[in-house]
Amino acid sequence: MKRQYGFYFDSDRCIKCKACEVACKQWKGIKAGTIKLRRVEEVTSGVFPEVKRRFISISCEHCAQAPCITACPTGAIIKRPDGIVIVERDKCTGCRACLEACPFGAPQFGEDGLMQKCDMCLDRVENGQTPMCAATCPTQALRWGTLDRVSVFATHNALNKFAKNQ
Amino acid sequence: MTQKDEGTTIADLNPNNKIIPTFCHGCGAAKPKCGILCHVVAGKFVRVEGNPEAFNNWGAGCTSLCAKGNTGPQFLYAPKRLQYPMKRAGDKGEGRFTRISWDEALETIAYKLKENKRKYGAESFGVLSPEIWPVLDTFGRRFLNVYGSPNYLHSALCATPRMAACKATIGFRSIAPDDWSKTKLIVNWGGNCENSGINLGQPNDILNALETGSKMIDIRPMLDPLGAKADVWLPVRPGTDGALALAILNIIINENLYDADFVEKWCYGFDKLAAYVQRNTPEWAENKTGIPADKIRLAARMMGTIKPSFIKIGNGVGDQTNDGTAVVSAICLISAITGNLDVPGGLLGGLPQVGAPLIKTNQIAKLNEKAPTDLVDKLVAPETPKWYQKMGFMPHGPTSAYYKALMSILSGKPYPLRVLNASCSNPLSATRNPRRVAEALKKLDFMFVADIYHASHVDYADIVLPACTSYEHSDQICIKNVKEGTWLGIYNKIIEPLGESRSDWQIYLDLAVKMGYGEDFWNGNMDACLREQLAPSGISLEELRNSPKGIFIKRTQPAPAPQYQRYTQLFKDLPHGKVQCYNEFLGGKDSCDGVSKLNYLPVYQGPPEGIAETPELLKEYPLVLSDVHAHRYSHHSFMQDVPYLREQQPYPWLKINPAAAKKYGIADGDWVRVESPHGWSKFKAEYFAGISPEVLMTKRGWWQGCDELGLPGYNEFDGGSEVNNLYNANEKLFDKFHSQMAKQTLVKISKIEEAQP
Repeated sequence: MKRQYGFYFDSDRCIKCKACEVACKQWKGIKAGTIKLRRVEEVTSGVFPEVKRRFISISCEHCAQAPCITACPTGAIIKRPDGIVIVERDKCTGCRACLEACPFGAPQFGEDGLMQKCDMCLDRVENGQTPMCAATCPTQALRWGTLDRVSVFATHNALNKFAKNQ
Repeated sequence: MTQKDEGTTIADLNPNNKIIPTFCHGCGAAKPKCGILCHVVAGKFVRVEGNPEAFNNWGAGCTSLCAKGNTGPQFLYAPKRLQYPMKRAGDKGEGRFTRISWDEALETIAYKLKENKRKYGAESFGVLSPEIWPVLDTFGRRFLNVYGSPNYLHSALCATPRMAACKATIGFRSIAPDDWSKTKLIVNWGGNCENSGINLGQPNDILNALETGSKMIDIRPMLDPLGAKADVWLPVRPGTDGALALAILNIIINENLYDADFVEKWCYGFDKLAAYVQRNTPEWAENKTGIPADKIRLAARMMGTIKPSFIKIGNGVGDQTNDGTAVVSAICLISAITGNLDVPGGLLGGLPQVGAPLIKTNQIAKLNEKAPTDLVDKLVAPETPKWYQKMGFMPHGPTSAYYKALMSILSGKPYPLRVLNASCSNPLSATRNPRRVAEALKKLDFMFVADIYHASHVDYADIVLPACTSYEHSDQICIKNVKEGTWLGIYNKIIEPLGESRSDWQIYLDLAVKMGYGEDFWNGNMDACLREQLAPSGISLEELRNSPKGIFIKRTQPAPAPQYQRYTQLFKDLPHGKVQCYNEFLGGKDSCDGVSKLNYLPVYQGPPEGIAETPELLKEYPLVLSDVHAHRYSHHSFMQDVPYLREQQPYPWLKINPAAAKKYGIADGDWVRVESPHGWSKFKAEYFAGISPEVLMTKRGWWQGCDELGLPGYNEFDGGSEVNNLYNANEKLFDKFHSQMAKQTLVKISKIEEAQP
């Protein structure tokens, strides 16, 4: 099987700087105030002074079993052999079934009404570069690589947390 | 663990496009640290990314950039860019201008400057300093020296007050430990690195340390993103950090948590300090700071027992409280008596010990020898005491305090400034009391501005010069000395400057030539100046310009073993060669106003208006207001016009605890009238749980509109949205050593019913 690419995100390292969100927009030339192919969200809980804040950077997560693909009535969404999920916009009818199916709210609909989403910066990946959002992350909260490579980050992170709690 | 990109190259994506390396100024003119790669397609700047050759953030191979850095093209093509020289056509403040030629503009300025010197003396000319801006710190000072004026108007709210208070107490200022991974306790006290320099390394370093087990205490009024990762958050009332620091000293001393050996050998006056802080109990501090006494005890015990620790002293406590010198002194003393000075993982004395630079360059000389010898005596409003300035301790030469100097225009005391260079700094938002500042600007004989944007203060200028952005010039070099070696890069003009705009460097040279100072200013030739800077490196300007990856000299010899505990050297300027627990360096000497004397001990003053400080006022104004100094979606008061950034914060925001908001009938998103004893401004409520119900926080500087998003700018006066309109600007209350001004006050709030733009 061809190697699969994926994102890795560590909420403990995210400081809601939104560099990823802005980097995505400028690289893709998306107009401000319109769609977001990547977004940073916050979950706040508790009451002052016992307050917790968590930050999450979300885009299309290029699921192994992508529900959007199953949901799309026209077969416009496909998973490439390298794992990247892309939309063939000429086949999209703008029915938004993919948005209903996606647990991350990743499919976006701009002025033309057709679906757009993160393509993992195919232009960069095919040029041997990291997608813009992960390349720009100032705290290494968001990373990208082949799945076996990002799983090393996850293991490393889990070991650190285990050691810290000892 | 650092991500390493396999196969990442600076390869061009399209052979018809150009990728040009240069430097980002998203953190402002003072911090041109992040190398960038600019993609230019058909002569237009379209995309930007971090330059992996430029040792950004965590170093070799790093491609990161912050949100601001990612908006380069929008920054360059901003609709409100100044593109042509102009002269004022209407009244001051009205904003009507006529386009003129560069020659006419520069000749007018030169004529006025010469006339002013002849009529009123050179010292009646002042220049606003935005920050440690390389152009001003070199060419600007050189120009002042040759002209003969000392009046470099420094903001008194930047890093230098902190630096000075650290030096006066422990002999040095430490901005980072030698290695964060050795630090077992990180105390972030009013520091704001996840807002003020996200890509400059500290957030990443701190997160690495937390990942490997460091503890962290965060002391800020809001639960900011890094605070959310801390073990302990102390939500201090704005402006009361001095009380907290004294109580922590009280606990550490009374519970014998201090390093007795260090205190014995290296601290002067410890017993006097110990006796003094007996009054500063945790209960006393609870009343001032709003932090429960037991929580103060918990934090103090952590600081007394977890070693090594590094206390990062931020702008919020050192530079923006009117007792900043005492606050910083007290915090430095916590580090000192717990034995955390110049130890591995503690407060490193001096620069990171990575080895000597392998590329040598010349600093641009300031020509201090050309200046009159009585420069300090002629300062219109000394930022620090004259005796201190005469000792040569000011890092950038003699300075007057920005706000006080502007007020001389109105008071005429000791003499009025008459001509002002107000470039790269908007005084209506960069200091307090915009109403009085505007009156002062109107009263000036002559004001000129070189800026990128038509900022709100530009309306008061007589002559306006268009400056280009950092993307449009090739006039600056950047050198980085890191553990792997030394890297040298140079700015590259990625497109021709818009309109007739010129680089700030070239503008100074051109003006100097018109003044007849050509001989001292390379006869207007910037390349000649760059060659002089490069001379000791053996690298020619052509070679550097032809090296798109910059020039890197790899370190072949390992750096010498780091040195620690260099106390004789670090304390050499301090009385008795010791840490000043009882401060004889400052104590008993003249203050900056020349009237009162400075304190020997870090006496708590507190904010000019506060919950515990002014109980009478509290009855009418029940809430505390303050603001963040730097922000991740703007640069000070600039960049509100950048669409990608403005959409993140469309309106002047006011963080308010939901419980407090409901008490005043304010819903999330309502416009709120915020009124202090000094003025009123309007902000949009944003519910936020991570702030005390008695505190409100906002951000200054909303004068820029954003055309693309159809969002307006808001002015600096009553009814606008400038927080500086609300603070106490009584000069008598400013810090007596370094002129710091309070940015904390009491306010009352009410919902604005009418729709607002």
